[in-house]
Amino acid sequence: MASADPFDSALDLLRRLNPKHTTAHLQSLISLAPDLTEDLLSSVDQPLTIRRCKQTGRDYLLCDYNRDGDSYRSPWSNEFDPPLDGGQIGDGGAGDGAGAAGVPSDKVRLMEVKANEAFDVYRELYYEGGVSSVYFWNLDDGFAGVVLLKKEAKPGSTSEGSWDSIHVFEALDRARVTQYNLTSTVILSLSTSGSGLGDMDLSGNMTRQIEQELPAENDEQQIANIGKLVEDMELKMRNLLQEVYFGKAKDVVGDLRSMGSLSEAGRDREAQREIIGSMRR
Amino acid sequence: MSLETIESFVEGAPPGELADVVADIKALTVNDPGLVSKLTPAFEKYNEEQFTTVKLPGSSQQVVISSHNSFGDGRYYDVESSSSFAFNHATQKASSVQSHVLEGPQTDLVKSTLKSLSTYAREHYANAAYGVYPIENDSKVAIVLVANKYSPNNFWNGRWRSLYVFEPTSGTLEGSLKVDVHYYEDGNVRLLTNKPVSSSAGATGVAIAKEIAAVEKKYQEELNRGFMSLSEGAFKGLRRQLPVTRQKIEWDKVASYRVGQDIGGARR
Repeated sequence: MASADPFDSALDLLRRLNPKHTTAHLQSLISLAPDLTEDLLSSVDQPLTIRRCKQTGRDYLLCDYNRDGDSYRSPWSNEFDPPLDGGQIGDGGAGDGAGAAGVPSDKVRLMEVKANEAFDVYRELYYEGGVSSVYFWNLDDGFAGVVLLKKEAKPGSTSEGSWDSIHVFEALDRARVTQYNLTSTVILSLSTSGSGLGDMDLSGNMTRQIEQELPAENDEQQIANIGKLVEDMELKMRNLLQEVYFGKAKDVVGDLRSMGSLSEAGRDREAQREIIGSMRR
Repeated sequence: MSLETIESFVEGAPPGELADVVADIKALTVNDPGLVSKLTPAFEKYNEEQFTTVKLPGSSQQVVISSHNSFGDGRYYDVESSSSFAFNHATQKASSVQSHVLEGPQTDLVKSTLKSLSTYAREHYANAAYGVYPIENDSKVAIVLVANKYSPNNFWNGRWRSLYVFEPTSGTLEGSLKVDVHYYEDGNVRLLTNKPVSSSAGATGVAIAKEIAAVEKKYQEELNRGFMSLSEGAFKGLRRQLPVTRQKIEWDKVASYRVGQDIGGARR
């Protein structure tokens, strides 16, 4: 029997094991198969870490796309923390220890600044708190980026929760239009407990992709297009998460154990069939 | 390469997906093919904790695997069919069935509880397996129930587990209820619950089953309220469906939003 590809098997395993502990499972898999490290880190979404920008005092989010070795770039100051020793910033290239993306060119960095301002407004309107960060990088035929949003429910109350949005996109130059490829993941963890309920944890992640072609004449239009795509995707995903977490999961519990009597339900169905049968006669 | 890591993957396998998890482990450890054979203790732990069900050869009845009906050395017994059997923890298959007639001071209570429990289970579980066993030198009775529903074609699987230990001298009925639901279409969503039970009942099968029915009904109501409170509470508090203005963002004017801080209620 041909054995499955280890990378696919690692992803399959992460799709099955408790999504609340993806970060720990990822570390285990990396220690098990070190040669998969870079592939796994760049394709598995983990809850985002918050760091405070030393230059501006504003919080930003860490991911593989603003990482270079052990340093992370702040979208507010464009500085790495800790500073890259002797490294040249702004050459658009990635060093040996670089994450998935290099540093954007001056032109793309200007767009990145505007996008961070726009998504800061978006964050306030939809999340009423939380942290947002946008990172762009250059592509040969356009540019790419990631829009990150994170919000944590205040701990201390009976229910806890956290939301992490990771929107990775490419904006590719085509004749007269820009083609946008967007892959969005939302990681949503919820838990509550009580004396009657015991412990209840409802956690996971969902991913969706779309492709769309839109005209973009200037930077403002680029950001508006990306903004609309992310906004529409998040609305769709919020509805989907609501359906799966509070509809599907609850329905499965009801499939496992019926609140009402199964024999009565059977008798009701039988009676209904008889009524329908007699109406046909 | 850590055996402990692999064991934790086995322990974390969702309902009905142990074979998939083991296939992934095998693919990830091709250079150490002997490893999976070292997993027998992890499989045993999984099967006993998850109340794995098995059909005895020549029978259509599901029988439960747990630490409470274990003879050790991979042999288990079933009261209803008066039999014992060997269970292969890696393949989850039963063999070498022998007659085993329950004896001892709790035999009547075990059998009457089994009878009342089966009436209750038929009314509320479309697919349940259960068992009642005397434990701790006939001083207590363990009651085990498991209900599985697997729908891998629709990317979801679920399991309900009930465990109770009844002490006839004090009438205490203690245990736990656990629900595990996995949904994995374009994602990975898991519901995991655990509710400790501390109750009491008279020392008859009818009284015990009646108390179990009441406890489980109340728990399912609590669980449904839990879904509601997470949906209305934590979920809504994380991200609004639309901004306060009930309108999507006008992205071509987004730069002006910042100047007029009043949009969105300015809750900063």
